[in-house]
Amino acid sequence: MLQYVIRRLLYSAVVLVLASFLVFMFVTVSGDPLAALKITPNVSEETVQNIIERKHLDEPVPVRYYEWVKDALTNKFGTTLLTDEPILPDLWRVMKNTLQLVLVAELLAILIAVGIGVYSALRQYSVFDYSMTTFSFLGLATPVFWLALMLQVAVVQIYLATGRNVFPIANLNSVDPGEGLSFVIDRAHHLVLPVIVLMVANIATYSRYMRASMLEVVNSDYVRTARAKGLAESRVTMKHAFRNALIPLVTLVALNFGTLLGGVVVTETVFSLDGMGLYFVNALGTNDPYPVMAWLMITATMIIIFNLVADITYGLLDPRVRYD
Amino acid sequence: MAQPILEIRDLTVEFDTEDGVVRAVTGVSYDLAPGEVLGIVGESGSGKSVSMLSVLGLIPKPPGRIPSGHATFEGEDLLTMSSSRLRDLRGGRIAMIFQDPMTSLNPVLTIGDQISEAILVHNSGTSDDDARKRTVELLELVGVPFAERRVDQYPHEFSGGMRQRAMIAMAIANDPAVLIADEPTTALDVTIQAQIVEVLKAAQRETHAAIVLITHDLGLVAELADRVVVMYAGRVVELADVFTIFNEPRHPYTIGLMNSLARLDADLDRLEPIPGQPPSLITPPPGCAFHPRCAISQGRAICRTEVPPLKAVGVQEAPHDSACHFADELANLGAARAGTAS
Ligand SMILES: Nc1ncnc2c1ncn2[C@@H]1O[C@H](COP(=O)(O)OP(=O)(O)O)[C@@H](O)[C@H]1O
Ligand SMILES: [Mg+2]
Repeated sequence: MLQYVIRRLLYSAVVLVLASFLVFMFVTVSGDPLAALKITPNVSEETVQNIIERKHLDEPVPVRYYEWVKDALTNKFGTTLLTDEPILPDLWRVMKNTLQLVLVAELLAILIAVGIGVYSALRQYSVFDYSMTTFSFLGLATPVFWLALMLQVAVVQIYLATGRNVFPIANLNSVDPGEGLSFVIDRAHHLVLPVIVLMVANIATYSRYMRASMLEVVNSDYVRTARAKGLAESRVTMKHAFRNALIPLVTLVALNFGTLLGGVVVTETVFSLDGMGLYFVNALGTNDPYPVMAWLMITATMIIIFNLVADITYGLLDPRVRYD
Repeated sequence: MAQPILEIRDLTVEFDTEDGVVRAVTGVSYDLAPGEVLGIVGESGSGKSVSMLSVLGLIPKPPGRIPSGHATFEGEDLLTMSSSRLRDLRGGRIAMIFQDPMTSLNPVLTIGDQISEAILVHNSGTSDDDARKRTVELLELVGVPFAERRVDQYPHEFSGGMRQRAMIAMAIANDPAVLIADEPTTALDVTIQAQIVEVLKAAQRETHAAIVLITHDLGLVAELADRVVVMYAGRVVELADVFTIFNEPRHPYTIGLMNSLARLDADLDRLEPIPGQPPSLITPPPGCAFHPRCAISQGRAICRTEVPPLKAVGVQEAPHDSACHFADELANLGAARAGTAS
């Protein structure tokens, strides 16, 4: 197992190096980052030349790649193109925000979805089961931006009707950080709507998944064996069915989580949340390749890490998985 | 016959399916005497498994249901008793071995856990340590080598034959009075089958349980069974002691089974023993369900119009029932066959 993890980590490192090269090539060939600056009035030749020298933009591609990697590894993910600001502090801040949002939304979604999935499977074709099936299809069919906008509209309507502002509809905070409990409560209050938006689609997906795998398991031969032993139904469900049914979901969630950490672009944009997704969109808008590349590398790393996490948890839950 | 330990009377089991109601078992009755081995034979789909699973409450409901019947075990009706009483009996006084050992064990729990669990659920005072010791003993009894070590392994680390041994160990853990073995060797290699038969014999010596042996392997029946129930399309079509069944079969379906055994001496699964297809259980043929495939009906009307009742044939000392309108015509035929076979 340990050997397997080490091997996978080494392998991941190779993948990351390759990814970094591809990312660099991709961003480099997509245009001259200084094109806009060069035609801006009031910008002197000298300023442009300074930037070119600082970023080695006149050197051959392999040298530029080497300089970028060196900068990234030794100097806080490098610096921005024009202002020479380090990238890491910003990236770190948006990562924490996205992590917070995604973690809360995912944990709640998993708990609710597992409950719905298991109960639907045990009461297949009941009213509950049909309602949840309908909900899932609606949840999956609803575009995220539309749901987010509708929630905002609803909050505004409530405000207009009652004069009460039930939930903030934008940003992550309205008080300054560092005020202890009131800051935490304020943050939680701001997260309510984005979390709901993120949860809806995930509950829909995960609960369908859980229902399907639970149905498969409750009709399996080994669950029949458990009943034939004389176990109580609750024990059959929890010990024999549930644990087996959970295995595919755990893998799915772990894989999904890596992707989500790259940011939830639509939700973050609609609610103006200072997260990874919005950061990426803004970076694309500024024509600065360095934050874009930093973001791409972080996201790739997350996906690789959570692929590994998915594999390891799968192995912990299912003894049939062999690491060799 | 001694006072039966299990009496099945007029058992009918149906399943609601998209295509209609499947009558898997229709009016089945038979007794199981203490300590005997009762073979239940018939083609696949004839209701053998469902007839036993349903009395233990192990068919899914819905879609399954039991519109009529009794299954009396030691004086109590399994079909009407409380679910907690039935749970006490399941895996306790009545245990079951399933067909496919590859899928019948939980892949994420160790073999030892799964056997100990059967012990613990029926013996609440037992400590985990004692349950484990007993589990190792049981594994040794059924011939699992290095039981002390293998008790902590997972099912995928066991071969098919070893898994079936573990299933048998689990089934006899609580010294059952009735052991239901549903095709215990069907999924195994031929060489392993013989070993499992020996384990079953050892299990019976150990527990003195009555065994219901569900199988379509007539060789297995000949080797283990004392009496035989032949099922066709959800009904009992013939019932007699094993000697009589093999030597004087009185139902054309049984004769078909015997002939295929004598002629081909091979697996009934792959070689179609009797011409024609097993009937639909949703819209079975009218009258005798076997008549479209029957060699002796010869188009006689009664076969198409009346369901033949299961009634006594042959001599009084050896009870022998057949559900054929023309069972009498088969008396000589059976004897003639007995002369040519063997
Ligand atoms: N859960 C179920 N739903 C619908 N039909 C079923 C179900 N279980 C069994 N049956 C039907 O009952 C009939 C008898 O099955 P079974 O007792 O398993 O046959 P066998 O004699 O091979 O053991 C078959 O036609 C089968 O399709
Ligand atoms: Mg069967």
